[in-house]
This record gives sequence, C-alpha cells and structure tokens, in this order.
Amino acid sequence: MADDVGQDKRKQHRARQSGVKADKKKLKTKKDANQKEPELTARQRNPKAFAINSAQRAERNFRRKEDLTAKKQHIPVVDQTPDEPPPVLIAVVGPPKVGKTTLINNLIKSFTRTNVTEIRGPITIVTSKKRRITLLECNNDINSMIDVAKCADLVLLLCDASYGFEMEIFEFLNICQVHGMPKIMGVLTHLDMIKNTKQLRKRKKELKHRFWTEVYDGAKLFYLSGLLHGEYLRNEIKNLGRFISVMKFRPLQWRGAHSYLLVDRMEDVTNTDTVRRNPKCDREVVLYGYVRGVPLKQEHMVHIAGLGDARIDELSVIPDPCPLPGTEKKRSLLEKERLLYAPMSGVGGIVYDKDAVYIELQGSHSHKEKTAEATEQEALVSKLIDKKSTMDEQIEQQEFRLFSDAAPIKSKDFKSDDEASGSDDEAEADDSGLDAASSDEEDEFAAKDWRGESSDEEQDAEQDSEDASSGDEEYQSLTDMKGGDEESDESDDEESRILASNMSWKTNLAQKAQDAFLQRHSESRNLMRIVYGVYNQSERNKQEADEQGGDSDEELGGLFRVASKQQTELQKDKDIRDKEERCGFEYQGDATRDWLSDENKLLIKNCFVTGKWKASEDAENLLKLDDMSDNDSEVYGDFEDLETGAQHSGKPKNDDDAEKEVAPESADASLGKRRMTRVEEENLTKTELMAKKMKLKAKFDAEYDNSGEKGEEEGRITGDHGFYDDLKAEAQKQSELNKSEFAHLDNELRIQIEGYRAGLYVRLGFNNLPAEFVDNFDASYPVLVGALNMTEENVGYVNCKVKKHRWYKKILKTGDPLIVSMGWRRFQTVAIYAKVEDNFRQRYLKYTPNHVTCSMTFWGPITPQNTGFLALQTVRQDQEEMKRLGFRIAATGCVTELDKSSQIMKKLKLVGHPFKIYKNTAFVKDMFNSSLEVAKFEGAKIKTVSGIRGQIKKAHHTPEGSYRATFEDKILLSDIVFCRTWFTVDVPRFYAPVTTLLLPPAEKSQWQGMKTLGQLKRERAIKNEAQPDSMYTEITRKPKIFRPLVIPKALQRALPYKDKPKLGPENPRTALERVAVINSPYEQKVSKMMKMIETNYKDKRFRQRKETQQRMKKFKATKRAEEASKMKRQKELRKKVSRAISKVRNKNNN
Amino acid sequence: MPPVAQEGNCLIYRGSNFLKQRLVLSCLSGKPVKITQIRSEDEQAPGLREYEISLIRLLDKLTNGTKIELNPAGTSVMFSPGLLHGGQLQHDCCVQRGIGYYLDVLIALGPFCKMPLQCNLRGVTNSKDSPSVDHIKGAALSLLKRFILVDEGLELRVVRRGVAPLGGGEIFFGCPVRKSLRAIQFQQQGMVKRIRGTVYACKVSPAMANRTVEVAKGCMLKFLPDVYIYTDQNRGKMSGNSPGFGICLVAETTDGVCFATDCISNTQEEAQTPSIPEDLGKEVAMRLLDEIYRGGCCDSSYQWLAALFMALGQKHVSKFLTGALSTYTVHFLQHLRDFFSVTFKLENPEAEDDEDDERGAQKVLMTCVGIGYTNISKRVI
Repeated sequence: MADDVGQDKRKQHRARQSGVKADKKKLKTKKDANQKEPELTARQRNPKAFAINSAQRAERNFRRKEDLTAKKQHIPVVDQTPDEPPPVLIAVVGPPKVGKTTLINNLIKSFTRTNVTEIRGPITIVTSKKRRITLLECNNDINSMIDVAKCADLVLLLCDASYGFEMEIFEFLNICQVHGMPKIMGVLTHLDMIKNTKQLRKRKKELKHRFWTEVYDGAKLFYLSGLLHGEYLRNEIKNLGRFISVMKFRPLQWRGAHSYLLVDRMEDVTNTDTVRRNPKCDREVVLYGYVRGVPLKQEHMVHIAGLGDARIDELSVIPDPCPLPGTEKKRSLLEKERLLYAPMSGVGGIVYDKDAVYIELQGSHSHKEKTAEATEQEALVSKLIDKKSTMDEQIEQQEFRLFSDAAPIKSKDFKSDDEASGSDDEAEADDSGLDAASSDEEDEFAAKDWRGESSDEEQDAEQDSEDASSGDEEYQSLTDMKGGDEESDESDDEESRILASNMSWKTNLAQKAQDAFLQRHSESRNLMRIVYGVYNQSERNKQEADEQGGDSDEELGGLFRVASKQQTELQKDKDIRDKEERCGFEYQGDATRDWLSDENKLLIKNCFVTGKWKASEDAENLLKLDDMSDNDSEVYGDFEDLETGAQHSGKPKNDDDAEKEVAPESADASLGKRRMTRVEEENLTKTELMAKKMKLKAKFDAEYDNSGEKGEEEGRITGDHGFYDDLKAEAQKQSELNKSEFAHLDNELRIQIEGYRAGLYVRLGFNNLPAEFVDNFDASYPVLVGALNMTEENVGYVNCKVKKHRWYKKILKTGDPLIVSMGWRRFQTVAIYAKVEDNFRQRYLKYTPNHVTCSMTFWGPITPQNTGFLALQTVRQDQEEMKRLGFRIAATGCVTELDKSSQIMKKLKLVGHPFKIYKNTAFVKDMFNSSLEVAKFEGAKIKTVSGIRGQIKKAHHTPEGSYRATFEDKILLSDIVFCRTWFTVDVPRFYAPVTTLLLPPAEKSQWQGMKTLGQLKRERAIKNEAQPDSMYTEITRKPKIFRPLVIPKALQRALPYKDKPKLGPENPRTALERVAVINSPYEQKVSKMMKMIETNYKDKRFRQRKETQQRMKKFKATKRAEEASKMKRQKELRKKVSRAISKVRNKNNN
Repeated sequence: MPPVAQEGNCLIYRGSNFLKQRLVLSCLSGKPVKITQIRSEDEQAPGLREYEISLIRLLDKLTNGTKIELNPAGTSVMFSPGLLHGGQLQHDCCVQRGIGYYLDVLIALGPFCKMPLQCNLRGVTNSKDSPSVDHIKGAALSLLKRFILVDEGLELRVVRRGVAPLGGGEIFFGCPVRKSLRAIQFQQQGMVKRIRGTVYACKVSPAMANRTVEVAKGCMLKFLPDVYIYTDQNRGKMSGNSPGFGICLVAETTDGVCFATDCISNTQEEAQTPSIPEDLGKEVAMRLLDEIYRGGCCDSSYQWLAALFMALGQKHVSKFLTGALSTYTVHFLQHLRDFFSVTFKLENPEAEDDEDDERGAQKVLMTCVGIGYTNISKRVI
C-alpha cells in the first residue's frame, strides 16, 4: 500500500562523488575491472574460510537460525479484504480536553480542505485514490470506549503530555487487548505547555517508554508540538495523515468471523400517524453504514451494541455516498473527488439523484441558494403543521429530510408520504415497488416458486416471453430448449424400450423418466431454479407485476390460470409432504439401464481405469513423452523458447477444440463429440506433447531443485520449510479463489450466494426498535451493529477462564452482578466463580483469588470459545466511584466452554447422630429429613469423628429421615457421623443487555443495572444479625469424668491373675475389719509350728544379710586404701617426670 | 417445501417428510423447529411413527438441554435443540427402519459434539428403506474423512447383523470431534480402480451368498478385473432375529471417491416372491454401474452430507462436484437455505481442455461460501 499515495516514492541513495570514500571505491572498481573473474563471491575466492570446522557449532548455528525463523512464522490466514474495501475506521480516543475534536477537524481540513463545525458521529472522507477513512470521535464513556475498541481499525490515542497518561488510556488499552488489538498510534498533545526543552525531551522519552510497555516495543508515538491559531501545525498534521494513509492492518480473529457496521446515518420511517397516536410505539428505523468484516447476511440476527438483538427486516445495497474515484490514471485526487460524508455532523442534507450523490456543505457558497429553497421548505413545513398539529419532534426530522427534495408531499397517505420524503433515495426506485408491496405477499410468491420442481414445466410457456426480454441471466432463463433437448436426446434411446410408450413422466416408472430426471437435476440452466425457485429479486418483481397485471387485465382467464397453478402446487406439496424420508437416489421399478449391452457400456467405459485416461494422466502418453525428450536432447537444452512457442501455438488449437465441442453439443449427439475429441487426442502434435512434458519438468524442478541450489549458493545448510510454504500457498490460493469465484456473477446473485460483502454501503431496516432509541438518539455515541453467527443469538451457560485485574482494588464476590463485554455485546449477568480441580471438578469459590485465573460461569449469550471478554462492576460515570476504584476493569478472561447445564460443586458435610447401636450396625438420625432423601444416598460412604468408616444401608421408619448404617467397628453413641458429598450450585439465569442507547442523553453514562447485595445494604443501612455460631465467645471446658472401667466377666476369667481386677478393697486401710477366724486345735498347732519356723527363718536371713553387709564394707575399705596408695605413687612419679622435663626445657631455652 | 412461517427464530414446517433433515439442521443451527400436520390426512395412523419418535429420542440422548413438545395426537412436534454433547451412547433403534436412518444423523452431528461420539446402535442393520451399514461404511465415511482430515477415532463396526423385520443387529460408531471444517475444493472424481463388496447371509443357506457373489462379480468383471467380494455368513446369535441375505458393492476411484449400492432380499412379510440370489446380484451390479454413470465426487445418497459440510465450512469458497442431484438433496439444499441462509451456486463444470472423453452423465458443480461454523460445544483448555 506504499504506493497508495502517489508522491511516496522513497528517495534513492546517492553515492558520494568525491572524498576519501569515493576515491577508495574508484580504486576498488578499477581493481575489479582488472580481475578476470570479477563476480567471484567471498566463498568462492576463499572456500576454506567457509568450511565447517566444528560439526557441533554448525549444528548450533543451524538450530539457532531455524529457531529464529520458526519464531517469525504465523499460521497463514486467508486474506479476506475485498477488492473495494470499506473505509478504514479511525477512532480518536482520549480523556476529555486533550484535543480530539481539534485533531479530527485538522485532519479533515488537511484531506478535504473543508471546515466541519461540529463533529458528531462518524465522518467519512476520501483520502487517496484507493483509500477512504472514517473518522470517529470517542467520548469519555466506558460504553463508547468498549464499542469503539470493537470496531476501530486504527486508534489514535491522544494524551496530554503535560499531564501524562490518565487512567482512561490504560483502561482503553486494556479493552483493546481483550477485544483483539487494533492498530494503536499514540499522539502526544499539549507539548507546548512544557517550556523547558530538556524537560520536554525527558518527558517525551518517559511517555514513550510507558506507552511501549503497554502496547509493544517500538509502537509509534506521534508528537503534536502545539497549537497555532487554535490548530495544530499543518506539517505535523500532514505527516500524521501520511502515516494514516499508508498504515497496514492485520486481520483480527473476531472481526474475521463476523460482519459489522458502524452506523453513520439513522432515520425513523415510522408512520407519522401511529407516532402521533402513541409516541412510545415501536419504531421502524433505517440504519446506514458500510459493511465491514465478512459478508453480511440478511437472515442472520444482529446485535446493536447498547440496544440489544434485532432481526433485519430489510437489507439493501445503496449507491456509495462517498465513492472512490474512478480508475483513470492520475497522480492525485481531483478537488471534486475529495468527498466528505458526514450525515450526523450537520455537514448538510444529502440529496440523492438517480446517479449521483450531492452533499450540501455549510460553506459560504450554499447561502445564496438557500433563500429560494428555504421558502419552499417553510411552506411545506407549515402545511404539515396545519394538517397534524400534534407531531412534535418528527417535524424536525422531516424538515431536515425535506431540505432539498423537490417532490411535494401528499398528505393523504402517510405511508407513501414517508416513502417519498423519508427514504430520500430515488436510487432505490427499483426496490421501492417491493417496499411498497406488503411483505407477506412477496413471501407468498417466493414460497410458491420454489415449492414445485416441476412448476418450471408449466411456467415454461408463460415465461418464454419474459425470458426473451431478460435473457442476460443464464440461470434464470428457462428456455424451451430444455423440453426439446429432452425429447431429442431420449427419443432414440427410448424407442427400443417397451415401457416407453405408456408412461407419462409423473408416474416415473420408465427409463425415460429416470433419464429426464437425471438431466433435469444436472443441467445448470434450470438447476438453480429447481432448487431455489425464483431467487432473483428483479425477476420475482417482474413476475409479481405480471401476475397482478394478469389478474386485472385478463379477467376470467387470468384468474383461472392462477387458481389451477396454485392447486397443482398444493397437490405437489401434499404429495411429498408425508412421504417416507429416503436419502438415496430413487429407483422406480427396474429403471436401471442394462449396462451390459454394448451401447450402454460405451457410456461408462471411461469411468474405469481400464478405459481411456486423460492425456495428462495416461501412462502410455507420458512414456512416449519421456522417450521423445530423451531422443532429442537439443529440445531439452533450451526448453524455455520451445515452451513459450508451444503455448502460443497451443492456444488457438484449444479454441478450436472448444468451438468444435460447442457445435456438436448444441446439435445433439454426445457420442459424436467423444469421437471427435478422441481423434484430436491422437493428433496431438509432437510439439504439444513436448510442451506438456516441459511443463511437468519445470514443476518438478521448482519443487525439488531450487531450494537445494539456493542453499548451495549461500554456502549454508537451510532448513526445510516446505510444510509452512505449502500452507501459505494454500491460504493464498483460497484467498484468490474467494475473490475470483463470484466476480463475474451479476450483483444480485452474488449477494444471494455470498452475502453483502464488506465495502458495500447498505441500508438496514428494523421494524420494532424501541421509541427511546429514536427519541434519545445522540450522534456522539457510536451505534455498532454486529452480526451474530449461527447459534450466537441463543443463551446458555458460559464457562470462562477469568483473572481479576491486578489494578482493580477489590476482589470479586460470587453472585454479585457483573457487567461483561463479550463479542459484540455488553450485558449484565451474575457470575459464579469456581476452581477447576485436578479431576476437572469445578469447585465453588466465594471470591476470586488474587493473581491466578479461576473459572467463572454465568448465564449469557453463546459465544465461540476463546473469545476474550472483560468484566466491569459498574459502567456509571461516577467521579467519586472512579476516584475510589481508580481502575474500572475488574477482570479479563476468555470463554472456554458452553453448555446448557452447569457443574459447579460445593462441598457439603451432612452430620448425624447415632441413636441405637448393635455391634457394627448403628441407626443414625438427624442427617436427612425424609426417607426419600435417604434412598438417594443409599450406599454412600460415611465416617465418624473417630475415623470409623461405614456405609448408609437403608432408611428407617422412625424418626423420619433416620437410617441404618454399618461400620467397620462398633461406634459409640457419643460419636458424630459425617457424610461428605458435593452439592451442585445453581447459576442464576440472569442476563440483561446494557441498554445505554435508550437512555436520555443526560443519563447515557449513568446506566445502572442490578445492584450488588452490598450496595443495597449500604444504601438502606441494613445490617445483618451475626450468626450466633460465627460469634467469638469464651470457651469453657468441663473436666471430663470417665466412667469406671468395666471388664466383662469372661475376659476377667481369661486374664492372668496379675491383671485380674482384684476384688479386695481399693484402699486396705479404710477396709472393713475382717471377721475373726477360729482355728481348730490341730490347725492352731500347725500354724504355731509354721510361725515358729517362719520366725526362725526370718531371723536367720536377717543375720546372714547383716554379715554380708559387714563383709562388703570391709572389703570396700581395703580396696579403697589400695587404690589411694597406688594413686599416691603415680602422682609422685608424674611429679618427678614433669620436673625433669621442665628442667630440660629450661635448659634448652636458656 | 419452504417453511410455512417463521416465529422469531423458530421455523415452522408442515408434513412428516424430511423430519430428519430438519432436526439435524436445527441441532446444528440452534434454531428451534416446529413441524405441524404430520400425517394429519392419514386416518388410520396420524402423527409421528414409532421410528421417528425413536429418532427424536436419539437426538435427545445426543444433546444437552433439548426441549421436545409433542401434541397429544402426535401430529405436531416442537423441537428446540440444546447443545450437542456426544460421548458414550446406547440406543435401541426402531425396527421399522434400518440403523442407517439413525446413523446418518450421527455422521452429520458427530464432528460437532462436545465429547467424541461412541455409540452403540441396535436394530436392523440392513434394510431396503435406508442405506445399509455397509453402504454407509463404504460411502459416507470416506466422505466424512475428507472433511475432518484426520480419521483417528473414526470407526464403524458391525458387531452383529440383523435384517428386517425383526432386526437384532448391532453396530458401533465412533467419531472424533473437530473445531471447524475446512473449505474444500474437490472436483476430480477419478476413475474407478477397484470394486469391493460384502455379501451377508443371516439364517439362510450359505449357498445364497455364493450365488449372489457369482453373478455380481460376473457383471463387474466385464468392466474391471479388480473385483473382490467378501462373504459374511452368520449363524446363531450373530445373525439377528430374522432370515435374509443381501449384498453391498463399493467402487473406489483413483481419487478416493467411493460409490456404494446395496440390495437385500425380500422379507417373508412382504407379499412378493422370495428373492433369487442371481437376480439380486445382477440388480446390485446394475445399480452400481448406474451410480458410476451418475458419478461425482460422492455417492448419490450422500450428496446432502457433502452439501452440509460445505455449508458448515469456513467462510471460504468450497467447490464440490456431484452427479445429478437427487430429490432429497434438492430439498436438503432448500433446507440449508432456510436454516443457514446458504445459497449454492449450481452449474455444470466447464469442460477441461484436455478432457475429451465423456465420463458418465452430466455432472453438477456445487459452489458455496461456508458460514464459518465452529464447534461451540467443545471445551478448550
């Protein structure tokens, strides 16, 4: 696009003619001239220097190089820009008072040399021979900022350099990042406020680097150094203009899949009477704009940002109000081609003529003519006022519209009145018939026409005359040729058949019918008609008119005909309506041909590999070619000449072929044609065959040789990027095909197949828009109409990946309303946050975590996965709120999954208490409320606090909700039983589009949807009672009193005596006195004896022990004495030795 | 058969014919559809048939959040589709129609599910009224493969055969999911290079199968030497509940296009005379030749599938060569226009310069711009 601007030819480098460098160069060239082989490269001169010394290093080099190239590669995208692209949408964004309007004014002035007094709404201007731009000013409302970020191609981000970047700028950058980054160019203004140059330079650098961290390193930042007479310097504006007009744009994902348009003109065409009767009635509104993105289709729903979804009731192309200049060769634009189109900005009434668009500029020249027109206009207006006194604001608009319309208004008919005055375009005259006619009538016709596949037969006669007149569309014209063809084609075949005589085609039993069917369903002339009926608008209109005319003119005959036709169609419809659905090709009886007979065999012989191959594929042919090329190598030597020569000679030959083919086809026999062409095939001349061969060879070379040779020349090993190159080539091919495929079709059919492609200026009619949209229309708020693709008009649960913005000061709470901007829409919804666990369970979160992504689910419009979105808690322009929050974007993320049900789980612990325990079985109450609930949980795992695991078995009758459970061990009555389950959290089904466009201008930035619970409580000063459970209270613990240990008797018996509980009193001192025992004399004697023995024994043991002690004492004493004497000796010895040593040392020292 | 009316998003149709088409397109487009006056003229049995109810049930299993409303007489049905879910499915198909009737739906919807489809269908594997399982395996899967590129996970297996009227057969169908389909240009049908076939005989003498093969092969050998027909003789549990035999032939071309036809013996219930294997063999051969004569880059029974995938492709130009359009395809194209507002350009292909031999009947070149359909059910990480 560099050559868009004619003068933008880069200046060539001019080599120095004198000086040291020039001398050196001269010397060198002289030397080079003396050399024999001047074109030797460094590698050739000194191959050793380029040899591979280290395999490892070579490998590393290679890998590095490949890494770098791989980094640069992107998945090839098919280029979708049409031949005549829509104007580039340039949005001027920035905080208030930075000079947005001044900049737009100056840009317009520099491009078109016109002053625009008031800037409202988009302004389209022609900037160069191939480029138009639409300038759009974005006001300081976050809603507008979002919509602008969604549609702008280029954003001029204005910033007051003396103040620095403001929060709005960062917010806007963030919005852009989420919705697919458009090109962003920073513009610094108010640079003249900084007087100190050093300070200025520093400031610039500072701001530049800050800007780069936000956008990307090296992003363009433009400086507008100051104002002169209230305008920016002309040179700087001119430079900015140049930058703009050579800017290239990369395709964005969302916009590459959706069509959209920015409305640059809005009109209310509601019947004035209905408006008078009910000012709040739904309005019929017409919106105008350039289609952008992908082709737009009428049947798709659209979303009007800030208003809601709407269905397009009428869509038509109208002539471009701001067309690109013609294609004549000239360097720059003529003065009259520097068009400006700004219907909202008060730049003037637009007058449409049949073939031209006049734009009235409020310049000095228009004042003179105004007088005459003004009187006329006033007269009209006064007339209107006389008639209908209650019309309020409508009058103004009509006045505006009527501005230069010469046609007087008929006050009788409001509808036609509106049409004539309101829709202001005679260019649409051909459509107006359709507009006027009621739409259901039209539908009826459409329906009728594509209902019957055989209707064409009947229509034949009727349409012959029409078709003769409108013979240009080949698809339309169902000529009577067809019938004739059928007859002649089939007659020879059919004669032999027995069936042929008595079969009409409706019974469809014969071969003839089958063939006729085949032909009907494969001949292109009527195929489109069979499938789609009368699909062409103009054709349909004509037919409609014809029909109506017929009704009135031929009285009975016409009516009769229509009735019978309808009847047959109804019959046809009924016939197929309830038939069994079969996808196969229908066979009626034994309708297949006998393919084994010779003449039939010929028909399909070539469908098999055993038949005749195409010349390019035939092995024999190819071999022949090979031989030829081997034989005469001189042909091989300079094939280029030969090839071109052959091509030239080949072309006329082919033309002949075509002619020959056409001729026999129209005559009749397909067989004859085949024979002709086969003769041709044999007659393929040697040169022709050679040419083919060479073509193949060249292709082969291109594939395999070139890359290798190049690599060798470079002296480096290059990687194989064949796969990537193939992908790129494929994308390129597809793009070319997309452009070329329908280029030759007539416009109407093209629109049918392709949709309204980008770059067309269209008029969108909506039937039921709220009255507030028209009443509160403010041109400074952009109206963005975005088309919705399949299923995007539906709502469902949207699951996203989301991260709270790190600059947002609060965390987000589950269940709080949130305003989300996603796709084209802005809407309020209630989000539930969750964390995706390792087993993909979504676990409920009450608040968003900081610094990590979490999952978010809400009920909202179905939007394709990976679409970015941003969330705001409020869109109100509230200074205090802004100050408190600082940054309004609460979270950003992207869509991951869409569903019709949500699976967010919350952990739930059910608590119960056992009330009866039998061994390992226990009956538990308080966990559930009814036996039904229990039934749902049968088999569930439970656990006691002490860790004994168990299972729910079955419901128990009393108390209600109790159940029987088994445990792995006996539990205690004091145990608490838990059941751990998951509980699905419902996502509230709340989805409300943000309807800012419906608010009155003063409140446009004050949209308030659902409030958060916290907000409501604060407003109404409601304070919840704290839960007693959540209160902090003193914990008092009673000492635990244990019950005495009871050991079962059986166990006691089994225990050893030592561990047996003794039956005696626990404290013998306090025990009761024992009962006196009186022994028998013998026993007394025995016991006395025993006592005596015992006493004796005790005495003996006492004495022995005493003796032993004395002995031990004595022994220890002697031992100690021995030890002491020994120690003493040793001490003395040690003393002696030490003394000797010290003496020696002293001696040595001395 | 254009829609009678349109209420908001909902399309309203009349009559039971093309119920399957409408439901499939409704599922894909997300537009609810209402069908009224279903066999209302039929005094004996007005309303939906059992097999249609079974189809609706299958769709209900396949999707999440579908709402179906039937009026008491069954003459009107309102279908508002949910999102395609897929995953593991079991379905007992009604024996009034073959499994092919249900399998068509799965083939069309399978690539757009949330989870890869793994479905077991039980019922009549081979019947006269819908393409047999072998036919689908031969013709439809090769076509599907062309659009989804990588066929990992694409599988159609006949677990057990069961012929009409009692069925008792079972098949397994697995289909991978795709994010989007690519636009394709497929204009070369190639030449038929091999013919394969399957003959099956359930609860009848194996001789029947062999006799069928002999004749069918005899016919085909007159055109091509590479003919091979497998015999699938089943007995006991594997042979379903009723006796019968049949044959399916598949012709494959050098460009990988498959044409298939099938024929099946008459059932006992039908008043007609029992089928003679030789006649059956001849008939199937003739039909295959007929199919080859019509040509195109897909089987004539699956032109609709090609059209569907073209329309759902990315927003680029797709081109596809077919034989003469069948009535079913014509209606399908109309329905495509209703649901997706896609209009096809239909024309005869230009004769190539070096193309000098007529290969079969006149072909039709379908051209359209896809709507850029993406699989909205699939989860991205």
